[in-house]
Amino acid sequence: MTNYLRAFVVMIAGLLLGFAMTAVSLGLGRGFGALHVGPWTAWPRHGGAEIDPYARAVLARSGEAPLGRDQGLAFFAHADSSGAPLDGRCDYRVFDTTPAARFWTLGATSVAGRLIDNPADRHAFTSSEIARREGGAFEIDIGAQARPGNWLPVSKEPFVLALRLYDTPLDLESAPDPQTFPKIVKLHCA
Amino acid sequence: MKISRDYLDWLPWALATVCVAGSVHIVSVLLMPDVAPRNAYARLLAAAQNAETTTNGVALLPRAAPGAEVTPFEDSAFVEGVCLFDLSKGLMRVRADADLEDLLALSFHARTGRIFHSATDRSAIKGKIDVLIGDARQIEAVEGEDEEAPPSQVHVTAPSMRGFVLLRSLAKRASDRDRAEQRLRSVSCETVAEPES
Repeated sequence: MTNYLRAFVVMIAGLLLGFAMTAVSLGLGRGFGALHVGPWTAWPRHGGAEIDPYARAVLARSGEAPLGRDQGLAFFAHADSSGAPLDGRCDYRVFDTTPAARFWTLGATSVAGRLIDNPADRHAFTSSEIARREGGAFEIDIGAQARPGNWLPVSKEPFVLALRLYDTPLDLESAPDPQTFPKIVKLHCA
Repeated sequence: MKISRDYLDWLPWALATVCVAGSVHIVSVLLMPDVAPRNAYARLLAAAQNAETTTNGVALLPRAAPGAEVTPFEDSAFVEGVCLFDLSKGLMRVRADADLEDLLALSFHARTGRIFHSATDRSAIKGKIDVLIGDARQIEAVEGEDEEAPPSQVHVTAPSMRGFVLLRSLAKRASDRDRAEQRLRSVSCETVAEPES
């Protein structure tokens, strides 16, 4: 009788422990093969047939449709160039260069990937529309308060930046040079 | 002595618990794409049913707005359309013209999330994108046909019977959205019958 009871306890404990492991592992990351460049992270395998089971489970749960590998690469940033988490109560400047690509877009979303409501109705800049200085360099100011120039509005909450490079010749085998990626610098906090 | 005997008594049960937990973990991760109720396929299926479908068979997705996004982490600079396919009803042929001025990106997703083919207009052959998707048997039947297929046609084997083709058309500026939508309207998705063998 005790053995039946023990077997029952083992089954229940195993089930709970197994589901807990799944919940924790899917909440922690987005699968294997992440590519880190400065504050930016991409998951090139999400866009191809070699996507791993953890990444598939994470994407299925969130409902994302990632970019295909032959279309481009999406880089996400949760922190600025010094490593501090991005927070809408602070103002940031994204500047300098982007890696070679036919087009790129730089947008802000909430941590859950939703668009941020703002009076300017702006959620992203494309490489074609951005105002540049002489020489091609650009600056994007990010914050909750309106600014002149390239202003990407966010709300006073944590947010995520997404840099998407379309038709990029970026070589994934050798680690990309962080100098060719935009820097994210915190200006000041409210 | 008593402690070590107790320990030995419990060890097999602890190991069994770990084995059960490991199996449950692996199975639940592998099954997640099939059972997740709000995966990309389910979201796009619901959106396509409520959206305008062009005469060419492309469902035009509504513009994403805060609180009304179809899928999370989607690039808002794009005008998007979707073609859902079910290969049990025949092969699906996707055709588009490439003008190379603006970006048109196509990605082919299995229902459970795997991207099995993707392309942009830059990979077009002679200004045309022409992709035929089918399961292994259908593609074999098409390639075994005597009739010459158009040389620019790409044949792709889909890993699952159902899935979707996501069409993304870049609006380089906010004022370009109409033009980007026109480009989507010129894309065609048609179900074609399997050749008789």
